[in-house]
Amino acid sequence: MVTPDLISEEDIAKLIISDDLPDEPMLKAYIEAKVYDKEGYVIQYHRQPMRSLTQYFLALMSIPIIGTYQGPSTNKAVGPLTNTLSLPTIVGAYGVGSANISWNFSILLGSGTQAFSPTLTSLAAPIANGTGAGQLSYGSVLATYSGTTIYIYVTVINYSSTTINVREIGLSATVYIQYNASGNNYASSTYSYLISYDTLSQPITLLPGAMATFKVALTFSG
Amino acid sequence: MMIGKMVDDIDVRMPEDVHDVGKHIPTLNAYLIVVVRDSRGNIVKVHRQRSHSPTANFIGLFLPIAYFSSNNTSYTITNATGGTCIYLPNVASNAQCISYPNVATNVQTYLVTIQVGSGQQSNPYTAIALAAPIANGSGAGQLIYESAVLPQSISINGSTAYFYITQSFNNISGGTVTITEVGLLLQVQLTNYNATATTNCGQVLVWYDVLSSPISVPNAGSVTIYYTFTVNP
Repeated sequence: MVTPDLISEEDIAKLIISDDLPDEPMLKAYIEAKVYDKEGYVIQYHRQPMRSLTQYFLALMSIPIIGTYQGPSTNKAVGPLTNTLSLPTIVGAYGVGSANISWNFSILLGSGTQAFSPTLTSLAAPIANGTGAGQLSYGSVLATYSGTTIYIYVTVINYSSTTINVREIGLSATVYIQYNASGNNYASSTYSYLISYDTLSQPITLLPGAMATFKVALTFSG
Repeated sequence: MMIGKMVDDIDVRMPEDVHDVGKHIPTLNAYLIVVVRDSRGNIVKVHRQRSHSPTANFIGLFLPIAYFSSNNTSYTITNATGGTCIYLPNVASNAQCISYPNVATNVQTYLVTIQVGSGQQSNPYTAIALAAPIANGSGAGQLIYESAVLPQSISINGSTAYFYITQSFNNISGGTVTITEVGLLLQVQLTNYNATATTNCGQVLVWYDVLSSPISVPNAGSVTIYYTFTVNP
């Protein structure tokens, strides 16, 4: 006999939280930034591990693992969606309509720093999308995947007349719940979450007219 | 300046020393914990190992809309019997997204079971089913599957967040049953918003692990499996 009786919730938590096993973790992630000057020459390159996923990443990741319904005959959403992402337990749908869920990722950039917490909801000082002082013009987010790695990219340009330093970066997820609203009209509810947060080990500097590409790679062990 | 082209070329002319050298700090870990009890309910073995293996189906289902829209493509999900369906999430009326609970037409997407098996296969990423699933029953070599218990939320402990799924299995087969592989089976239903295009993808293997050592469940005993997922341990 190894232990006397049932394992308690606390015992399980200890087994879960202790990261004392050798071997590789199941996810490795990194952040990459590449800065180009006005002529298109690379003038700064930076790469670092992405360390800090939030509770919202886990909740989103739970969808392809446990699904959205509590069971085959229980038309209620699972706990991580309702209690962590604050999504509705059930949505209205007109007539013979239905509902579904989907999500997108984007890369957030900021000029501040803050301590990490798994409950963080925003960057310390987000850099707004625009051409004014202290702003960056964000391109469309692109995503690709190859085998076990998902890549997310965004390109930004500093059209302002001032230098901008990027010191923090986050991944954001936008969740869409689509349903058939009254009168057979399509409707969509949108929810946004910060799913990762990292401060950069060195600032990424964009002089006026400079462009930078930021890339986040999520590699599952597979 | 051609922004799109530059993004496409991001890996061009990278010096070798900037590529992955494996010096990462863990961000996300998954563990497989197996607790075996004898006929009196006493714990006789606790097995713990890293879980490594989201399958290709998991990664396909986790991809963001941007992947589908920027590449003008879909993802083919392969279920546990080899059938396929097309996953095409988008914010549009003709999308094929994972179903969500509603007051009208429900086609449920849910965790069917933690499935255990007595075989193994070498490439978990491409696995679509367990090599030799152990059937639910009381016959020789079978186990009684209890219901899986789902997390109620993401739990927080300091800078760590985690959730786990657990399920117990009872052995009343009359003999010892040995487990060598474990997986997660998800029933996947895709639908558009008005239920005019609904696809039952069937039971899809989204996670698969071969145990680092076999687990023997004694007759009249039981085994409880915990699949745990943590960030920032």
